[in-house]
Amino acid sequence: MQLLSALAFALAAIVATPAAAQSLPRFGAAEKHVDAELIAATDAIVPGQPLTVGLRLKHENEWHTYWQVPGDSGLPTQIKWQLPAGFNAGAIDWPHPKRLPVGPLMNFGYEGETLLLTTVQVPADLPVGTPVTLNAKALWLECKDVCIPGEAQVKLTLPVKAQAAPSSSAGLFKASQARVPQAALNATAYIDATRIRVALSPPVGKTLDKFEFFPLEEGRIEPAAPQELKREGAQFAIYLTAAKPVGTDFKTLKGVIVANGGPGYANGWANVVQAPLTAGAVGAAAGATGAGGASGSAGGSSMSLLAALGTALLGGLILNLMPCVFPVLSLKLIGLAQHRTHSGPMAAHGIAFAVGVVLSFVLLAALLIGLQQAGSALGWGFQLQTPWVVAALTVLFFGIGLNLLGVFEFTMGSGVANLKAADTLAQKSDWRGSFGTGVLAVIVASPCTAPFMGAALGYAITQPAVIALSVFAALGVGMAAPYVLLTLFPSLLAKLPRPGRWMELFKQFMAFPMFATCVWLLWVLAQQVDAGGVALALGVLVAVSFALWALGLSQRGARVFRWVAAAGGVLAALTFAPIATSEALAPGTRATADTGWIDYSPEKLAQLRGEGKVVFVDFTAAWCVTCQLNKRVALRADSVKKRFTTDNVVLMRADWTNRDERITQALAQFGRNGVPLYVLYDRKGEAVVLPELLTEGIVLAALDKLTINKLKEASR
Amino acid sequence: MMLIRWCAAGVFASSMVSEVIAAPTPGQPAPNFRATDIAGKAVSLADFKGKYVVLEWNNPGCPFVQKHYDSGNMQSLQKRYGAENVAWLSINSTTESSSDYMPPAKLAAWFKQHNAAPAAVLMDAKGDVGRAFGAKVTPHMYVIDPNGTLVYAGAIDDKRSTNPADVKSATNYVAAALTDAKSGKPVSKANSSAYGCTIKYSSSL
Repeated sequence: MQLLSALAFALAAIVATPAAAQSLPRFGAAEKHVDAELIAATDAIVPGQPLTVGLRLKHENEWHTYWQVPGDSGLPTQIKWQLPAGFNAGAIDWPHPKRLPVGPLMNFGYEGETLLLTTVQVPADLPVGTPVTLNAKALWLECKDVCIPGEAQVKLTLPVKAQAAPSSSAGLFKASQARVPQAALNATAYIDATRIRVALSPPVGKTLDKFEFFPLEEGRIEPAAPQELKREGAQFAIYLTAAKPVGTDFKTLKGVIVANGGPGYANGWANVVQAPLTAGAVGAAAGATGAGGASGSAGGSSMSLLAALGTALLGGLILNLMPCVFPVLSLKLIGLAQHRTHSGPMAAHGIAFAVGVVLSFVLLAALLIGLQQAGSALGWGFQLQTPWVVAALTVLFFGIGLNLLGVFEFTMGSGVANLKAADTLAQKSDWRGSFGTGVLAVIVASPCTAPFMGAALGYAITQPAVIALSVFAALGVGMAAPYVLLTLFPSLLAKLPRPGRWMELFKQFMAFPMFATCVWLLWVLAQQVDAGGVALALGVLVAVSFALWALGLSQRGARVFRWVAAAGGVLAALTFAPIATSEALAPGTRATADTGWIDYSPEKLAQLRGEGKVVFVDFTAAWCVTCQLNKRVALRADSVKKRFTTDNVVLMRADWTNRDERITQALAQFGRNGVPLYVLYDRKGEAVVLPELLTEGIVLAALDKLTINKLKEASR
Repeated sequence: MMLIRWCAAGVFASSMVSEVIAAPTPGQPAPNFRATDIAGKAVSLADFKGKYVVLEWNNPGCPFVQKHYDSGNMQSLQKRYGAENVAWLSINSTTESSSDYMPPAKLAAWFKQHNAAPAAVLMDAKGDVGRAFGAKVTPHMYVIDPNGTLVYAGAIDDKRSTNPADVKSATNYVAAALTDAKSGKPVSKANSSAYGCTIKYSSSL
């Protein structure tokens, strides 16, 4: 393709018109990379009728010239007219430009071929029959990685006739005129610090799927900053970044919006935007994570749907390895191995399992969406912010552990069996067993939010319901995939080990991850309630284990123990009652394990940012395993602690163990609805979002970046 | 657990922070820097504490820079303010891989040939100094007062062109800022949109 256009260019150069041949760049012909030519839309001048002419610029491959606002560097092309008396040339009608990135900077301009249009007024008393020559000097800056000023004396001689026909270039004019932005759209704009939000509606009959915004005024909009689009009902909001410092005279936002690739593309359009700009809350585009707090697009709603689905799929796959899911699924696999000789078509099992998993995820999503729409500020970990849920999950895992150890057996049809019948379900040979295992796997997985799922979930929550549901479905597909594979290709299954006594031992062993999960849940509970509450929960466990023991005895024939089991169950329920009604402790009354951390509050954070302090905010929760891991691996590392001290970093902890509306909102500002989230504010108050999995190196590198400037300043 | 961490790290590598040039604005402290001049001497902004400092981003290959050197404009500013005890630092942030890059000796020869008189010409091929100031173009100009506060950032003058003839009729923002600041007045035009060629920064950070 490059070769072709180079050939075309060479040909064009050979047959160049006399006007083009007059182009004389200042540094000699060898450095000429743009050809200029003056052409007209019609084949003649008509007295008294406006004449449309254009400066046709042909750029050598990779070279560009500039739009009326050139961006971070460059120079707009100029046409200096030398016209006969009575003729008058208007300003250039600029076709919309392209964004041309240069390293970290951005230019606005043209590549390939472009036609800068001008309307020339023709005197009415012009005598017909005498040809007229229009002269102009064109000046431009042509750039690739280097820039060269270019200029050309161009001229165009046309006959003067009573009537004119379209010229051979009429098609080119039509295409260029289509690219000149249309009249201004109705829009309103708000600015908060440097963040600008423009609400607008596309022209009638058009949509807005992607866009580029080109400022019509110099120094108002940061040319290279990312631009974001958010749909708000029938309206759209675009987010831009103002150039610093923001002038007090910046009262109107003027620019050009080029949508869907611009005219010439399906559904493309380009319009002028002229919006009064008022100071006001801009809010966060859901994708407002990444550099500068206001730019970048990591993990928010600007994440493409495909990426979100892919992430969700991967997240689902990895869920299989989580300690609270693995045992259940291992048992399912063992069940498959045992029944492989006499259980009918394997694929049916796999599909039933997958349907169970996917349906449960979709139901969970529907529940989340329902709750969210009911106005609750909810995140993925929300169920762990309520003490009774934590206690109930402890009991569930404890019960599953006892079951795995063989204290009692589940029998189908006991009402709550689908919640706890891990073993039985796994061994059931019909499709209902497989479906049930799928459902169970999802329920058991819910507390094990894999760290990397935050982004996909954050994305889902900010999207229309259909998309959110598909993301959750993808999560389910990912989780079910290995099992479906195994059932579709039973030959793989044959490679699984033969059943035997080891399986019973393995099953019993799997009780210990369950008990470990109980320890973690109880520790979470200890962050939420006082010692009495934890003691109560432990009491419930004793009662439950007693009831289940009795149940086990009755299952082995000692029928009388059925009543003992029932009594134990009642006792457990009675013990549980106070927990169910207990409120979580107020935030701030919890013991903080680390010294030197202050509690998060938006006001305090704003104050510190205003003072130019470097602030590290740790959005965490006791029930978030990744958070604890990060604390241990990175935040409590001696090297990191030392650097926090020497760099005078203010450490702020936003503890989301219990529900806290203000923290939920802060997370939403970064496009998240889960923890962990680590934000480092530099001394200018700009936010840098760190990855969700921290290492000493990541934290130190982030501090290094800030400190380079800070230390330099300090040495002054 | 290791496996989970790797996978997660892979997923999140793509969400790592992207670099945006952050610049101090007039009224804010100028970031200190350390760089080597064309003679190999270490120069730091802190060396000029107590003096006005002018920073001029330079690239001899840029037509906008050529405009101000071919017209003699830049040299006369350098000489005028050098005599007034203002430290004039010309900084070249062109990366070594750019065709515009000049090694120190060649750059020194260019400055000598143009009879230029900055206090120092600094090599910043890594672009650290340029990025610290948010310099975008050549010539991007900065004026720092004796307290180390940035008092002007932006274009050299109000005539965005590559034509040396335009210098005569242009209002020079750097001279105006120094005149205001030295007479104890707030700088009336403390900020403008710099014009020029894009600085050819190194792509690695």
